[in-house]
Amino acid sequence: MRWLSALALALAAGSVHAETFHFTAIPDEDEARLVERFERVADYLAEQTGLDVEYVPVKSYPAAVSAFRNNQVQLAWFGGLTGVQARALVPGSQAIAQGVEDAEFRSYFIAGADTGLAADQSQLPEDMEGMSFTFGARTSTSGRLMPEYYLRQRFNASPQAIFSRVGFSGDHSRTIALVAAGSFDVGAVNYKVWDAAVADGRVDSDEVKVIWQTPPYPDYQWTIRGDVDERFGDDTTAQIQQALLSMSDPSLLESFPRSGFIAADNDDYAPIEETGQALDLLRP
Amino acid sequence: MPSADAPLPGWRQRLRSAPLVRLTLGLLLLTAVLLPLADLSITTGAPWAELGRMLAGFIQPDFSATESPLHALALTIAFAFWGVALGVALGFPLALLFNRSALLRSACAFVRAIHELFWALLFLQVFGLSAVTALAAIALPYAATFARVYAEILEQVERAPGDTLARATDRLSRFLYVELPLARQRLAAYTRYRFECALRASVLLGFVGIPTLGYHLESAFRQGRYHEAGALLWIFYLLIALLPWWAHRRLLPLWLLATPWLLGPWPAVDFTLVWQFVSVDIWPPPLRNGDLAALPGWLAGLPDLLPAIGNTLLLALLGTVGSLAVALVCWPLVSRHFGSRPSRTLNGGLLIALRSTPELLLAFIFLLLTGPSMLPAWLALALHNGALIAFLVARHADSLTPGMPGLRGLDLYSYELLPGVYPGLLALLFYRAEVIMRETALLGMLGVATLGFHIDSSFAWLQFDYAVALLTLTALLNVAVDAVLRRLRHTAERGGRRTPVPGATSFN
Repeated sequence: MRWLSALALALAAGSVHAETFHFTAIPDEDEARLVERFERVADYLAEQTGLDVEYVPVKSYPAAVSAFRNNQVQLAWFGGLTGVQARALVPGSQAIAQGVEDAEFRSYFIAGADTGLAADQSQLPEDMEGMSFTFGARTSTSGRLMPEYYLRQRFNASPQAIFSRVGFSGDHSRTIALVAAGSFDVGAVNYKVWDAAVADGRVDSDEVKVIWQTPPYPDYQWTIRGDVDERFGDDTTAQIQQALLSMSDPSLLESFPRSGFIAADNDDYAPIEETGQALDLLRP
Repeated sequence: MPSADAPLPGWRQRLRSAPLVRLTLGLLLLTAVLLPLADLSITTGAPWAELGRMLAGFIQPDFSATESPLHALALTIAFAFWGVALGVALGFPLALLFNRSALLRSACAFVRAIHELFWALLFLQVFGLSAVTALAAIALPYAATFARVYAEILEQVERAPGDTLARATDRLSRFLYVELPLARQRLAAYTRYRFECALRASVLLGFVGIPTLGYHLESAFRQGRYHEAGALLWIFYLLIALLPWWAHRRLLPLWLLATPWLLGPWPAVDFTLVWQFVSVDIWPPPLRNGDLAALPGWLAGLPDLLPAIGNTLLLALLGTVGSLAVALVCWPLVSRHFGSRPSRTLNGGLLIALRSTPELLLAFIFLLLTGPSMLPAWLALALHNGALIAFLVARHADSLTPGMPGLRGLDLYSYELLPGVYPGLLALLFYRAEVIMRETALLGMLGVATLGFHIDSSFAWLQFDYAVALLTLTALLNVAVDAVLRRLRHTAERGGRRTPVPGATSFN
């Protein structure tokens, strides 16, 4: 009974605080002190829009999509593919901004030095066949979708048929660690995570090499629910978009990590949607 | 080990009269026959740099790296505490009806067969990242477990005191005044044991995003921030090691008053979404639209089921046999009959670390060592569950008093203690086998396509109809395996000596 009354109380309380605007974001690397860093982003958005803004920490992209769908967050920083999923689930929602880097994002295929695969090839090498391979997270655009697309295009076969074993490391940093340790021969990673790892000296580029990079594709973006104007005031979407586009403080931007945000819309992600459907990962 | 003295003259005769030896040999034989089917290849690379970083993080934990470790710790305890409390509140009445209703028994077996994490993923769709998701994910499967185990404990209560009651005594009075006082101690012991399990489950819930210790542990570990991960692991080990003190019976009222305020956040449930989820999302579209012609197309969208079922069963079998081996080696390490007090304390710490480290982390360490295959999953399951069983078997052995004086070391182990604890050990193992099968689900990252791997994928792709279909299949498979295990367990409990096995039901 105590629990039930607590629940009832909480439900009532929930409706009182309904005017708080919630957002979530998962950076593609370095989740250390996430709450602290994104609370500063929340403060910035609040200052710019006059709304009461709160950051909701979320663990994974599927969880971010459910939070968006359940209206626990009204704004989210999604990957390319998860953004498409989220917008399909919440009709009326729109992509409003993407990182400067996201208009031309890439994946790297990386391999350990002892695989004998040469660096920087012009196409995916045939010698990869029969080696072991790991993707990143299952619904990652840069760690799964686009690498799988280009693998199929090159070999005209499923990854499971190309490689002796296909793993899902769950994370770009982990893909790098597993390839560096020789647990998997080849892996596919988000290029920004790779560049950061090389810059920090977390990976020895003599031991692990980039063997091929994909052509550019659109990736991460901010997506907002379609019902926010109705709920928070007429020009909320425009205000939030403006605040994101004019974010210039490097200490805020490095949380994502991006050099700035530019405008985006749903159509920018049509290639991602088509690829997802072509690979049978998204239902038409 | 009893199997060691099998090839004596007249061994056929001995085997026939020794059901436990037969059971063990059967299990080993089955494993040996199926082992070639398992994918156990070893690829060694250069794991030492990464393992060195892990070790450094573990030795030099950084307790200031996590933003709010105390809040995460308190939340871990609060969810475990209230999850178990709700599980007891729901499970106890069910236990009283358990033996009367086959429907109830099947429903409980079904609910139990689904891993806490998958319950969490289901509730997550409806209640979001909230206290309701966390509490329901623990309370529901625990209620089903309590219903069964409480019923078993009550069934084993001595009959004599009840027989002295007037025939007209109603069921409730009989229960309140006779059965409950007699069974109270064992019920409490089992509930305490489940609380430790709930703490582990509460940590695991962090892996899907509930902000318990596991939330921070998973991110830190995944992204290679090992000093932070080490600190969180140490916190959790201490929590488990100090359990008898901080969760003492006398402190329960304090926890009861202190923890409800920690639970949260409470969701604002959107009932149209709940209805959409329950009535639309989880059903195959062909069934929903009455378009049966489209059903084969929908079924073709399911992953390859036979390899998935095969891998699940094989990994569960290997995990069970591995746990048996680990338990046989490890229980003397913490039993009062062997070693010295310092050695027992040290070994006890080691066993706590093995049974408290989430399998996923253990599996990742072995993945670095042996490369991707079923092997890291096997080792992780065997060590984790073997350590758990060893700990309980040691408690059982401690309650035995050896009859032959002067027996020591290996002789004491083989001739006195092992025959005493072995029936209980096997019974525990067969209880645990069900859990091991559920846990195979979590090890999909190793590239081993178990059923759980596909369930996890379906959730990630928001294909809830496939997720629920696969969950149902997994649950039915678990129920079937459980029926087999139940028979084996009865053999184990009846075999050996006809002594009661104190550990057996205090375990699941």
